[in-house]
Amino acid sequence: MTATGLVKRFGDRQVVDGVDLAVPRGAIYGVLGPNGAGKTTTLRMLLGIIEPDVGTRTLLGHDVPRDAGDRVGYLPEERGLYPGMKARDAIAFMGALRGLDWRTGRTRAAEMMEAAGLGQAATEKIRKLSKGMAQLVQLLGSVVHRPDLLVLDEPFSGLDPVNQEKLEALILAERDRGATVLFSTHIMAHAERLCDRIAIIAGGKRRFEGTVDDARATLPERVRYRPTHPGPAVAALLPADAVADDQTWRFELPPEGIEPLLVRLIDAGHGIAGLSIERPGLHDAFVRIVGRDAVKGAATNRKAAELNA
Amino acid sequence: MTRFRRRLRQTLTVARRDFVATVYTPIFLVFLLAPALMASFSAIGGMGAASVASSGREKARVVAIVADDLARPMAQADTRLRAVFRRDDAPPALATVRPAGDPRAQAEDLFSARDMDVSVVMFGPLTRPHILHTRRYTRSADYMGVLAAETLADHALGAARPRVEPVKLVTDAARQSRGGRNQSAFLAVLGIFFLTLFLSTQLLGAIAEERNSKVIEVLAAAVPLESVFLGKLLGMFGVAVLFVGFWGAIVGKLGTLLPADAATAFGELAPAIGAGPFALLFAAYFAMAYLLLGAVFLGVGAQASTMREIQLLSLPVTIVQVAMFGLSAAAVASPGGWLAIAAEVFPLSSPFAMAGHAANSPDLWPHLLALAWQALWVGLFVTIGARAFRRGVLQSGSARPRRRGKAAA
Repeated sequence: MTATGLVKRFGDRQVVDGVDLAVPRGAIYGVLGPNGAGKTTTLRMLLGIIEPDVGTRTLLGHDVPRDAGDRVGYLPEERGLYPGMKARDAIAFMGALRGLDWRTGRTRAAEMMEAAGLGQAATEKIRKLSKGMAQLVQLLGSVVHRPDLLVLDEPFSGLDPVNQEKLEALILAERDRGATVLFSTHIMAHAERLCDRIAIIAGGKRRFEGTVDDARATLPERVRYRPTHPGPAVAALLPADAVADDQTWRFELPPEGIEPLLVRLIDAGHGIAGLSIERPGLHDAFVRIVGRDAVKGAATNRKAAELNA
Repeated sequence: MTRFRRRLRQTLTVARRDFVATVYTPIFLVFLLAPALMASFSAIGGMGAASVASSGREKARVVAIVADDLARPMAQADTRLRAVFRRDDAPPALATVRPAGDPRAQAEDLFSARDMDVSVVMFGPLTRPHILHTRRYTRSADYMGVLAAETLADHALGAARPRVEPVKLVTDAARQSRGGRNQSAFLAVLGIFFLTLFLSTQLLGAIAEERNSKVIEVLAAAVPLESVFLGKLLGMFGVAVLFVGFWGAIVGKLGTLLPADAATAFGELAPAIGAGPFALLFAAYFAMAYLLLGAVFLGVGAQASTMREIQLLSLPVTIVQVAMFGLSAAAVASPGGWLAIAAEVFPLSSPFAMAGHAANSPDLWPHLLALAWQALWVGLFVTIGARAFRRGVLQSGSARPRRRGKAAA
């Protein structure tokens, strides 16, 4: 899946502004961004649900995304199933939309529900299922036809930890089957655990593209140091950005490494009661790349929009 | 798989879902049997009205104050004259009364008789009968005048009265008449109008289910919206065909039980194109009328965000249907005129008017052209409806369509 220079405007508002993406075959790819960043609109353009104003995209080798429709599975952010349908039929129906015949769809649906621990709900109507169960049913519906590409928009939202774990397992199983998985999220922990590559989008623009390690590498590692003999003189030996919390100091790893600093501290008699060097998390990298103001601004805009509605 | 075959499969998948979701519900039984309920209530009302009318008719009388020697020939003449009336058109039954005293006063008194409900009283010599009647019964008064003349002729001529023995021959000339064709044309327009009025307005709220349950994005991701719309249209058309088939079979069976007079009346319907082709064209134009109006209603209804908005739309939609019926009914009354041509060309009235055209003209080719024209407009309406819908929704992540349309996820 590739996208080049995607642009989308809704009225006078530019929602997506020149986004480029390249999702390698067989990878788990995360599209990260704060609320209102343009993730959903980008995914919809990639899938051909809406057309970009400017830009091109290819999906599994097709310039017209719909031509690859039968090889794609999609879980939208707004979960939706027909409430009067039985769970098994809902999965088969979603498969049928993607070219799977009903009988095979029903058989697979029953097997998949059994495997996912939902066997007893196969003949229940959707309206009788819990929200989490319905969400899993919809997820199974998006993979029942064994797609080559699975696109999940905020798949973890609304799921309890147990179901989140099930979903992570399912994503990994799809990757192991050979499918490419693309999902959007603003929860970094999932991306950190699952993604081979990520793109960070904010304000309609792509701010970063690479591996999770690449993203973390945009921030220096951080040191936590606790002296054996604390005293006012410790601060003078530490880098300028060091801040103390109780008896523990935190600061960025100096460019020359930690060893020269440790030598100076030991020589000065402060000793080492505790020392750790921490790699920054994806969360820190995300905040750094997107910018705190952008995250706050997006959240505020979102709340305002919801209140207005 | 070609793009066309994929779209066809997707369209039929949506159609199948809608058909099954509609038919396999208890509510559908209520819908299917609604005409039976309506007919039952009508029958109960009709029986009540008939009972009241019948009890009134039993007591109703026209009275002749005549001498005994004229009473019998008058009764015979009355029996003979009544043969030309339909039951409901016939004057009230005849009663004869002997003259007693002042005939005028006797006649006046008869109107207040308790054992009968008198509307007309004839008295005086039959050569110049006086007929006293209530304002409503002028026709019965005229009848009494004719009865007096017949009675007098019988009485005067007796056996010398010339005997006439008519020889009745049945001809199919009426079938070829313009009146028979017009009657067929109007019934065709009326039939399609009623069927579409009952059935196609359901499509107004067809997309509401997808919007409310948020399934629309799942569908839109997998299937072009045009296929979603067409699939829903075909699904509901399947429901309509089931409904029409069910009631068609019942009415067909009931038709064999109709009285001979009624069956003869239907037999005189004379479509110019012939009964077989006319039946096929009626079915085809019903399908086209349903699909055309349904496509418009589907597209318009898809723009509504709430059930309240959908309910508000039902009135203008009904007005449109009635307008199409009115236009087509006027068109079939003047076949070949500019109004008829306009109604046949205008897409929404075309199926109605062309069904009437089939009754008025034997040519087949205009129907092939018309069906193609109507199918083209079904496609256009579906495409326009789907595009308008796409423009109005799917503009944001968790935002509701239109209301929060500018908040992208």
